[in-house]
Amino acid sequence: MKNIRKNWLTGLRIVVIAAVLVEGISIVQYESLRRITLEDMNIRTRITLGAMADEISHTLEMTEATMRENLWMIRARLGNPDDMFQAMVYLIDDNPQVVGGCISFIPDHYPSKGRLFEPYAKKEADGTISVSQIAGPDHDYTLNQAFRRALETGVPNWSDPYLYGEPPQSLTTYSYPIRDDDGIVVAVCGLDMDLTWLGEYLNSNQHLKSSFAIMLTEEGKLVAGPSSEKIPQAEVEKAAAALSGNAMDVYHRNYAIGSVQMKASPFWQLAQVYRTREIMAPILKLRRQHMVLVLLGLAILFFMIKRFARSEKELRIATVEKARIDGELTIARNIQSEMLPKTFPENIYGKIESALEVGGDIFDFYRRDGQLFFCIGDVSGKGIPAAMLMAVIHSLFREISKREENTVTILHALNDQLCQGNDSNMFVTFFVGRLDLYTGKLYFSNAGHDKPFLLTGSAELLKTKAHLPLGVFPDTAFEEQSCVLSPGDGIFLYTDGLTETKSPARENFGRERVKAALDACLAQASMTPGEIVDSVSKAAHDYSENAPLRDDLTMLFIKFDPGEIVRDRLTIVNDIDEVSRLSAFVKDYFSRIELDRKAAYGMRLALEEAVVNVINYAYPGDETGEVTIYAESDRKEIRFTIVDSGFPFDPTSVLPADTTLDAIDRPIGGLGVHLTRKLADSVSYSRKHGNNVLTLTKSIL
Amino acid sequence: MTTSVKEADGKFYVTLSGELDTATAQEAEVALQPLLESQGKDIVIDCTDLEYIASSGLRILLGILKQARAVGSRVVLKNVNEVVRDVLDLTGFISIFEFE
Repeated sequence: MKNIRKNWLTGLRIVVIAAVLVEGISIVQYESLRRITLEDMNIRTRITLGAMADEISHTLEMTEATMRENLWMIRARLGNPDDMFQAMVYLIDDNPQVVGGCISFIPDHYPSKGRLFEPYAKKEADGTISVSQIAGPDHDYTLNQAFRRALETGVPNWSDPYLYGEPPQSLTTYSYPIRDDDGIVVAVCGLDMDLTWLGEYLNSNQHLKSSFAIMLTEEGKLVAGPSSEKIPQAEVEKAAAALSGNAMDVYHRNYAIGSVQMKASPFWQLAQVYRTREIMAPILKLRRQHMVLVLLGLAILFFMIKRFARSEKELRIATVEKARIDGELTIARNIQSEMLPKTFPENIYGKIESALEVGGDIFDFYRRDGQLFFCIGDVSGKGIPAAMLMAVIHSLFREISKREENTVTILHALNDQLCQGNDSNMFVTFFVGRLDLYTGKLYFSNAGHDKPFLLTGSAELLKTKAHLPLGVFPDTAFEEQSCVLSPGDGIFLYTDGLTETKSPARENFGRERVKAALDACLAQASMTPGEIVDSVSKAAHDYSENAPLRDDLTMLFIKFDPGEIVRDRLTIVNDIDEVSRLSAFVKDYFSRIELDRKAAYGMRLALEEAVVNVINYAYPGDETGEVTIYAESDRKEIRFTIVDSGFPFDPTSVLPADTTLDAIDRPIGGLGVHLTRKLADSVSYSRKHGNNVLTLTKSIL
Repeated sequence: MTTSVKEADGKFYVTLSGELDTATAQEAEVALQPLLESQGKDIVIDCTDLEYIASSGLRILLGILKQARAVGSRVVLKNVNEVVRDVLDLTGFISIFEFE
C-alpha cells in the first residue's frame, strides 16, 4: 500500500510538471501571436488609410484645380466690382463639391463700395445659386485667419474644417490670393467645400463590427468620425485624444489605434480604431482549444500512471520502475505518432523509426495553392520534453505556413517562439521547403539540419547554406534558396539518426553510404517513394547488423511528378471591355482541359469577379495598367494566378458579404469577392516584387 | 447577350439570353432601363436562355427588384437553369426573388 501511495504522488508530480510546462509554452505562444496580429493589423490599417488619404487629397485637388482654371476670369473682371458676383457664380457652378464661395477685397479697394466688400455666392437646397454681399459691421472678414494668412504669405491655404450654416454643415475653405496686373494681392478668393460625407466615407467599409475610422486636423482636433448611432460619441473622443505616433498603439487596454497623415497640405490625419477584444478573438479561441486538449492529455497521463500504480501490487520494484519508464515512453511515442501524416499521396513517403527512448524527430507536409509545404526537424534531447516541444513546433509550422509562404519568414517565426523563455536550452535543427507542383520550383531554407539529397540522374547533396538551428539566438538571419526540379526528380530528407547509425565497430553509416543506397535505388527503374525509403532503411539496419536504434531514424522522400500540365496566359489592360477577351480565353482554356460544364461555370465566374475587382480598383483614376492571368492545370486541379502592379490591396481581407439580408437592405455591390471565395477552393494573396499576386485553386477530380 | 422587354396584359415581359458578364452588363442595364419606371406593373423575367451571370448582372436584377418593391410590384424569374440558380443560391438571391 505504501508503494502505491508513493507512485500516486509521483504520478501527480509528473502531471503537475507537465501542466506547468505546457501552460508556459501556451502563454509564450499566445503573447507572440498577439504581437504578430497587432503588427499585421498595423500594416493593413496603413494601407487602407493611405488609400483613403489619397482619395481625400484627390478630392481637395479638384477644388484647387477649379480655382486655378477660373483665375483668369476673375482677374479679367477686377476692373468692375459688380461683375464679381457673376464670376463667383461661374466658379462654384463649375465643381459639384463646392457649396459656396466668396471673394474678399482688401479694405477700401473699391472707393465706391466702402471699406469692406465681399461678394458671396451659395448653392441653395433647390440647386439654384444665390448671391449677396455679406461683409458688414457684424462680419469683418479682415479678422478671419485664413484671409490674413493668404494675404500675408501670398500662397493659398486650406482652413481647418468648421461648422457653418443652419442646419450646421461641416466645411473647409480653400483661400487663394488674387493679384492684380501689377502683381499686388488685392483680394482673397475662398471656396467652401462640403465635408459632411467624410465621416460616412471613412466608415463605409469597416471590416469589424466595433472598428471605426476618424479624421483629425494636424493639431489633433476631431474633424469627422462614425455616426453616433454606430459608435458612442464619447468613445470617438477618447480615440482622438489617444492618438500618438505611427505605430499600432494599444490604449485603455481595450482599444488599438493606427494612423497616417495626408502627404500634402492640408496635413490632416486619418486614424483607425479597433476593439482589441474583437481582433484577438480568433487567438483566444485557439488558446481555449489548446487548453481543452492539454487538460485531456493530462487526464490521460494521470490515468496511465494510475494504471501502472495498480499493476505494481503484483510486481517487484524493479519491474514497476521499468513499467513507469515504458509508460512515459509510450506517452512520448504517442505524441510523436499523433503528429505524423497518416496517409501519403503516390509521390510522397516518409516515416520515423522510433528509438527505445524516443527522440524529438518530426516531419510534415501538406498542399496549399498548388504548392507542397514540407519540413523535417530534430529536437535536441529525448523523451517527453522533446516530444512536447516537437508537438509545439508542429502546430506552429502548420499555423504560420497557412498565412506565410516564404520559408525564411516561417523559420523566423518559429525561431522567435523557441527563443522566448527557452531556459532549458533546447534547440531544433529544421529544414523547411516549398515545392511548386506546377513549375517544379523548389524554395527552401535550412536551420542547421542535415543537407538533403537531390535525386536527378544521381543522388547529390542539396547545397544549402549553413544557418544556426532554431532556438539558439533570437536574431539569427536565415536565407531562402531555390532551385528547379524536372519531372521525375526527387528530394530525400533525413535526420542524423540515419547518418549516425553505428556499425558493430562503432563507425557511422555516413552520408557516403546514404548516397550509395540512393544511387542503387536510382539504378533500378521506377521505384516508388515507399520502396526507396524502405530500401535506405534496410541498408542502415544491415550496416548496424540490426542493433537497436540509438536515436530516432527519420526519412522523407518527395518525388516531383506533375503529370502533363496545360498552361496558358493572357494579359489585358484595366478596362471593363477587356472582360470579353477574358471570357474567350477562359472558355478556350477549359475546352483544352476538357472541364465539365458546371465546374467550368463556377471557375469562370470566380476568375471574372477577381479580375474585375483588379480592373476596378488596382490603379488610380484613369491610369492604364496591365493585369496578367496565368492558368495552369494538371487535370486534377486548376490554378489561376492574377498579377497586377497596382496599389497594394488584399481582397481576401474584405469582410464576407451578408447574403441573408432582405432585398431592401442589400447594398448594391460587394458580391464579387464573395463569389470568388465561395466558388474557388482556396484564394490567397501575396505582395511580390511590387505586384499584387492573387492565387485561386480548385480541385477538379 | 440579347435582351428584350415587352409590355402586355399590364405586365412587363423580359427575356434575357446569352451570357450576362461584366462586359455585357452595361448594355443590358441600358436595355432594361424602362423597368425602373414600372409604375406598379409586375415584371416577369424569362431566363430560359440565360447561360451565365456575373455579379454585375446580379446588381442589375437587384436594382430592378428594389425599384419594383418600392412601388409594390412583383418580380418573377422564370426557367432559371441549374448553374445560374447555383449562383443565386451562393449569394442569397434565391430567397429574395420569386421563381416560376
